[in-house]
Amino acid sequence: MPTGIPAVGDLRVVLRQTRYAIVSSTRDSRGVVFGIVFPVVLLVLFNSIFSSGDNLTVNFHHHEVRTRAIFTAGMAAYAIMLQSFSTLSITMTTQRESGQLKRLRGTPMRPWTFVAAHVIRAVLFAFALVVALLLIGRLVFDVRLTAGALAGVAVYTALGAAVMATLGMAVTAFIPTVNAASSVGPFTAAILAFISGVFIPPDILPDWLAALGRVFPLEPLADGLQRAVTGVAGGTGLTVHNVTLLLAWGAAGLVVAARRFQWVPQGVGA
Amino acid sequence: MGALAIEVHDLHMRYGAEEAVRGIDLEVGRGEVFGFLGPNGAGKTTTIEILEGYRLRTSGRVSVLGVDPAAPTREWRDRIGLVLQECELDPLLTVAETLTLFAGFYSHPRPVDDVVQLVGLRDKRDARVGRLSGGQRRRVDVGVALIGDPELVFLDEPTTGFDPAARREAWAMIEGLKALGKTVFLTTHYMDEAQHLADRVAILRAGRIVALGRPTELIDGVENETMVTFRRPEPFDLAALRAWVGDAPEVAGDDVRLRTTDAQATLGRLLAWADEHALRLERLEVRRPDLEEIFLGLMSDRGLPGDADGDSGRG
Repeated sequence: MPTGIPAVGDLRVVLRQTRYAIVSSTRDSRGVVFGIVFPVVLLVLFNSIFSSGDNLTVNFHHHEVRTRAIFTAGMAAYAIMLQSFSTLSITMTTQRESGQLKRLRGTPMRPWTFVAAHVIRAVLFAFALVVALLLIGRLVFDVRLTAGALAGVAVYTALGAAVMATLGMAVTAFIPTVNAASSVGPFTAAILAFISGVFIPPDILPDWLAALGRVFPLEPLADGLQRAVTGVAGGTGLTVHNVTLLLAWGAAGLVVAARRFQWVPQGVGA
Repeated sequence: MGALAIEVHDLHMRYGAEEAVRGIDLEVGRGEVFGFLGPNGAGKTTTIEILEGYRLRTSGRVSVLGVDPAAPTREWRDRIGLVLQECELDPLLTVAETLTLFAGFYSHPRPVDDVVQLVGLRDKRDARVGRLSGGQRRRVDVGVALIGDPELVFLDEPTTGFDPAARREAWAMIEGLKALGKTVFLTTHYMDEAQHLADRVAILRAGRIVALGRPTELIDGVENETMVTFRRPEPFDLAALRAWVGDAPEVAGDDVRLRTTDAQATLGRLLAWADEHALRLERLEVRRPDLEEIFLGLMSDRGLPGDADGDSGRG
């Protein structure tokens, strides 16, 4: 068979799609408010509410740590989930139900380049948001990071964003309409934030809720970032347990997304 | 490369018990503009989606640009442009951004600004797609279909929802495609559109082609004749007129209509009758049927023996 389209072009196609995914996301006012402004506001709120006086502390893995560090790290995890899971699944459902994906399928585009572009977009946005949250943490709430902690945060952010993005793609297969996506994405993130030690410091949660939280992927991400930022273990905060759990979730998401992802509208009349 | 862009033989499509397409045969030559007509539910979209590679057929042989669309390849998609029904583009990207994005998927895309020009959106080049009118958005759709410089373009109801001016512009654009040597497969509800644009048309009813040919051939092939109409004069005696002209006149609202297979003789007798009675024939009109009337004739049950049973067997 002829190979009229050179494979080297694929990278360019990915970059071009990434570029326009970013352009489109920055123009989506609802996405900007909900995915970028919202976690920043929450960070400021939580840190202001729960720290009368500068040094309110909480127990975290048998260490006494500042709640501000816990909230700053937790909010970073929440922001990653909002960008990579919630926003991504809403974007994908919207594009599928409006026929944009069907249209793309009618071109010679390789499907993986499209998926890659949107995962890259999600990871880049997650990184930008984590940097912004850590800067606010540092400048306003005096949350300081060591070089090792920064490395750990970088690894968790990249891994967490990629894992959440595959899960966002996977869950899209089970969401029939844009309305459903607009509820499922944010609602899931909010519920998980409560039981994964993001909105409520993990030590305060009843055991059964904390155990429930540990079933889902936000918990290892939040726990990992909190370990890094609080520096409880010293170093990077990377643990085999958290990294393995995240990888397992990512693998599951990848399998489901690869098998079930739909390109044509699924809603009424399809 | 064969001379045919599309070949379909005995195409069937069944959804459960319902048979949406019941044995279609057609051939579309390269460089031809082919009109595919029919009411909603006739199987138009099912057929076009099979040809586009979106749907797997139940049975039959199909070849589009020499490839079976049931096994679409990237090389094949590289040669085809699509305007789909109910497929939007990202409303947050501009016209030029959208075309640039899609240009990246093709091996030899046309320059973005050429396409912007071709679809008449130079003024809207940097406007977001979501802020365009319906007609302008449809033109972006057509632009996206053309960006890869395809050999064959599928246009599924490209002017639905257009105002008359926008429709005329779209027609000029589609004529431009023909001038570029593209093969165009067009579905439409609008008979005047098909009559204006298509080299040949197929009329589909309940999953079967009930007429196929050049629009003029279809019109000539209809036994029903020329229509002569004029405003009913006062006083008017229908029986007297019938006796005079021979053909059966009928009254329709304010008008009197005469169907005739020999317009010259009928007109002669009609004018003699008017002279004799010193009547003035207001709004006198002599008209050949257009594709719309052929279409309506084919869709009504008369003249289609053996098809009514097909309808009752559905679902």
